[in-house]
Amino acid sequence: MTDPAQHTRRSPVYRKLVAAGATFREAADGAVAATVPGAPRPLGLADLSVLPRLGYKGPGALAALATVGVPVPEANNTALAMPGGGLVARLADSEALLLGDPTGTGDPLAAYGALHGAGCYAMPRRDSHAWFTLAGDRAADCLAKLCGVDLRPHRFADGAIAQTSLARMNGILIRDDRGGALAYHILADSASAPYLWDCLIDAMAEYDGGPVGLDDLASFASAE
Amino acid sequence: MKLMPCPLNGPRNISEFACAGEVAELRDPADCDDTSWAEHVIFSNNTAGVVREWWFHTPTSYWFIAERNTVTDEILRTYPAGEVFKARFDYAAAKDEGGK
Amino acid sequence: MRLLPPHGSRIDRGTSIAFSFEGRRYTGFDGDTVASALAANDVILLGRSFKYHRPRGILTMTGDDANTFVTIDSTPNLLADVVPIREGMNVMGQHYSGSLIGDNGRWIERIAKFLPVGFYYRALFRPRGIWPLWEKLVRRMAGLGRVSLDAKHGYYDKQYLFADTVVIGGGAAGLSAALAAAERGDETVLVERQPVLGGSLNHARFDAERMRGIDTARSLVAQALVHPKIRVMTDATCTGWFADNYLPILQGNRMFKLRATDVVVATGALEQPAVFRNNDLPGIMFGSAAQRLIRLYGVRPGIRAVVATANEDGYGVALDLLDAGVDVAAIVDISARSGMGPLARAASEKGIEIVSGGALREALPTEGGLSVGAVMVADNAGQDRLIECDLLCLSVGWAPSSALPAHAGAPVLYDDSWHGFTVRETPPGMRVAGAVNGVWDLDAALEDGAGGGDIPATPSPNHHWPIFPHPDGKEFVDFDEDLTIADIRNAVADGFEDIELVKRFSTVGMGPSQGRQTASNAVRLTQEANGGLLADARGSTNRPPAFPETLGALAGRNFHPVRVSAMHERHLEAGASMLIAGAWLRPACYGGAANIEAEVNAVRGNVAMMDVSTLGGLEVRGPDAAEFLNRIYTMSYLKQPVGRSRYVLMCNDLGTIVDDGVACRLADDHFYVTATTGNADGVYREMLFRNVQWRLDVDIGNVTAAYSAVSLAGPKSRQVLERVCDDLDLSAEGFPYMGVREGTVAGIPARLLRVGFVGELGWEIHVPSSMGEALWDALMEAGAEDGIRPFGVEAQRILRLEKGHIIIGQDSDALTHPHEVDMGWALGKRKPYFNGARGIEMQMKQPMTRRLAGFVLPEDTAALPEESHLVLRDGVIAGRITSIVRSPTLGRPIGLAFVPPDMGEPDGRLAIKGPRGRLIEATVVALPFYDPDNKRQAL
Repeated sequence: MTDPAQHTRRSPVYRKLVAAGATFREAADGAVAATVPGAPRPLGLADLSVLPRLGYKGPGALAALATVGVPVPEANNTALAMPGGGLVARLADSEALLLGDPTGTGDPLAAYGALHGAGCYAMPRRDSHAWFTLAGDRAADCLAKLCGVDLRPHRFADGAIAQTSLARMNGILIRDDRGGALAYHILADSASAPYLWDCLIDAMAEYDGGPVGLDDLASFASAE
Repeated sequence: MKLMPCPLNGPRNISEFACAGEVAELRDPADCDDTSWAEHVIFSNNTAGVVREWWFHTPTSYWFIAERNTVTDEILRTYPAGEVFKARFDYAAAKDEGGK
Repeated sequence: MRLLPPHGSRIDRGTSIAFSFEGRRYTGFDGDTVASALAANDVILLGRSFKYHRPRGILTMTGDDANTFVTIDSTPNLLADVVPIREGMNVMGQHYSGSLIGDNGRWIERIAKFLPVGFYYRALFRPRGIWPLWEKLVRRMAGLGRVSLDAKHGYYDKQYLFADTVVIGGGAAGLSAALAAAERGDETVLVERQPVLGGSLNHARFDAERMRGIDTARSLVAQALVHPKIRVMTDATCTGWFADNYLPILQGNRMFKLRATDVVVATGALEQPAVFRNNDLPGIMFGSAAQRLIRLYGVRPGIRAVVATANEDGYGVALDLLDAGVDVAAIVDISARSGMGPLARAASEKGIEIVSGGALREALPTEGGLSVGAVMVADNAGQDRLIECDLLCLSVGWAPSSALPAHAGAPVLYDDSWHGFTVRETPPGMRVAGAVNGVWDLDAALEDGAGGGDIPATPSPNHHWPIFPHPDGKEFVDFDEDLTIADIRNAVADGFEDIELVKRFSTVGMGPSQGRQTASNAVRLTQEANGGLLADARGSTNRPPAFPETLGALAGRNFHPVRVSAMHERHLEAGASMLIAGAWLRPACYGGAANIEAEVNAVRGNVAMMDVSTLGGLEVRGPDAAEFLNRIYTMSYLKQPVGRSRYVLMCNDLGTIVDDGVACRLADDHFYVTATTGNADGVYREMLFRNVQWRLDVDIGNVTAAYSAVSLAGPKSRQVLERVCDDLDLSAEGFPYMGVREGTVAGIPARLLRVGFVGELGWEIHVPSSMGEALWDALMEAGAEDGIRPFGVEAQRILRLEKGHIIIGQDSDALTHPHEVDMGWALGKRKPYFNGARGIEMQMKQPMTRRLAGFVLPEDTAALPEESHLVLRDGVIAGRITSIVRSPTLGRPIGLAFVPPDMGEPDGRLAIKGPRGRLIEATVVALPFYDPDNKRQAL
């Protein structure tokens, strides 16, 4: 048990989880909600905002990543698992986003933190974007209340990315299923994160959803 | 709601986009008299028919070009701006000064 | 009266529900609508008409007309014929004064001849100024229902839905279409307005024995409900078609926004009235409405009925009435058809009197005038006959329910051989099937639904001219607006010859039922009156919504993103009042406006800090970074040293200033550029837009939300910062004004900028936003012993004005070029190009028309002028104030104003028209007001 406010790095929504009665544990250089009363739930929203992630941008970004062994996806708006955990999301011909291990253990991105080469520029994605994970069989239906992209599972496959409007904010959705359950990473403007959190919690109520911790998310992985 | 086929993101609700008017060629004011520069900056052709337009996908901050029929509102084709703007553009005096 | 089963397929006789209507208690069954439950209690008067307060009752039983508008528990304009009853609900009729039965507003009909269509355009606006008097009366007399100002907020939301095929309408053709699509493998959504699938199969008569519709429905509905590829949505209304098959579907308090690859419109047809005197009396309803009452709700709709018909459907109605124990006095067949179908033969065999080739003269009310008591008809010899009845069923024709194809651009035109409107062709991705497609046979409709190619033509069910003028009028074409034959003819006679003009002038089809019962007859009468052809005549344009939508459904969850900085909670804890700046919330001041002066004084005399996280932040990187800024901004950046910041001023192509900030050179190929709060996204978009055309080797990244920033300002700011920053030389020499350094503050990696918007020694400290709250805490703690305090936007506005700094958008407008605000110094003179350079140059070829000038007011000025108050010269408007505050530092009011150039010289006098028009004299002074030598910020 640790207090998220004792760490220098804090999630933009840590107060929401404190209010929900979450139990925190240390992860990376901050604290994540490990478990929240009420979990497990059929639909859970977890906050991963303090966990590591990297962005690279520029005409040489994808090449620079490939050079150091990152498995860069062939197509824009698709994501691949990285060796050692985490995901690499190709957002454009000139932009990629690397997500650390969503369980908050280890730091598979450590090796890629300081890339620079011709036309490759780092982006502070750990601060510009909050990182939530929405997991559960009704996750696509829930997101359909905030987002106009066709997320039907056969149309929006595991590893697919939508950069779109979420509750009128700009956001990135990455499908990354947990065990048998649908799961989406949601990355969106950190300054609007408390607003987006509230929108999602509201949209989840119909499906008996609510906030969960990172350790609660693991129950989706072991459900199968 | 109309769908816009974005070259980067595929078909999306048109509310995710902003239109910035007709595509015009870049011009160097040094090559223009005042009248032709003013017309370049202010006027648009307002064609009834197929026009090339600038469109911007807001969630990805992505600029691209769409060919749209302004009479039928049919979008015929969309493509990256690089198909039209192929090479670096410099202003006359910049060349004289040799850049930096 | 309630009928025995099998009548009443929709009601559950085991569950009684009590409700009140007009203060009296009634009971119905679960499954009843308000109108069916009232009809079961022999209550047929539901409300009053819009204009003449005529009594009205059931017409369609499908919610397609406005006759059944009622107010339920303070929600007005609900349709009694479709809203289900609920225990304890309180239902009131609408649009009467006094009581529903004895409406005091009936007098209006007696002056009807003085109220022709368009009368208010002609009569109520003359003499000038008279309208407000009339308006009061008209507003009280007209209008639908009454809005409750105490209405509670409901929870409404929206949800996207996607389908390969969506079928609108769950009748025979729709069921068939959905099953066919699902069998092809399509993910199919089947949308039905009614609570159950089946459409007319549930109530219409397809054969003499009565069972064919029911058996067909049973089989198709069972298949549809269990098909894994079909999602059935009942009680769900598609209210319109929008581009690329985007369909709003209202169900309960949710609006589904459905996107489908293919749309099958199987919305059926709408029964149409005959137009004759008193055709609106309660007890006169469509044959299909009577069948719905009998079959769905087990209600006997009358005791003695007359059926006026022009097709086989009417004979089916008569047979159903007989089955329900109604005495059918006569079938008046107004068509000139030859031969009889199976239903007509069956009716004839039952011994019902059939008046062939008859015509309708008028309906006559009962004593008291509240319902139909008899109908006067003419037989085929022209002999008038009065037939007593309490129920008159009309089955004289149908119109396709064609709103959705019409929204999609399909032509819906009058077909002279069909005697009605037909949908001609649908756009790609849409087809029509069944009755809406003019398919008037059950087998053919099933085939049409399945997409079965050529469907054999069926005879038209429509009478070619079901219009029977009466010398005394009152033959209603439009029940919503109480429009008669004469009203349509008069509109044409007044010169409004096109149906669109007739509609606008007479309001025909503009009421809540949106022409669903009027379009056919209105076009017939219009074309007759203007001498035009009926063939291929069009109706007025049909626009969404096809059915009423509540504002709650349109509003949904009402998403309004709000941006807050990482320090937001700290501001609230410190008692900040927040103001909205673009999408951001910012602290206006802490602990009330009375503290603003103390906040200013803290900056000037001590140390204070402000959250400036809302400033835009842009990373501009690459070999062409400096060249790029050189083109985007007005100053020169090629030779800007690393470790220094420089002002940036952005103009558009016209030369209007649009943004400003500073550019910090962190490396030869790396600038960190700030933009004004609220404009960062616009600046970012503009930069990207330029560079997809210039193609410079530069990358632009928007890092606004990635950085939190605090402006630490005041003479003691250095000693505070020194306590938490030990890896940088903070001395005046080591870190001069406009210097930029990267270091750590309280162990947090930071970019420090020595800038001075408020005009004192100070730093902007930019840190990763996830550490912004920790930075705030660390600085507050470090400054505690010096009495540091936070300051808000209000204090900053005073501080910057004392320094004469403008706020773009407040002290500039859409035409302001740099010279007007005395910023010629910010224009690069030897640059080949920057955005707006030519525009500024061209504007400067004209004489200057205005400039921004500083002014002061006497200390004792009581009521300050406000922003946008006018500057006068010789009593004529010469300029306006853009900013004005009481300066605590200077001890007097100061401000900026746009004035003609010759009025902007120091020591000049300005006449300002202040509060309540009082003239106040101001003195022009040179800018800035405070510390003109800029010594304080360079300490």
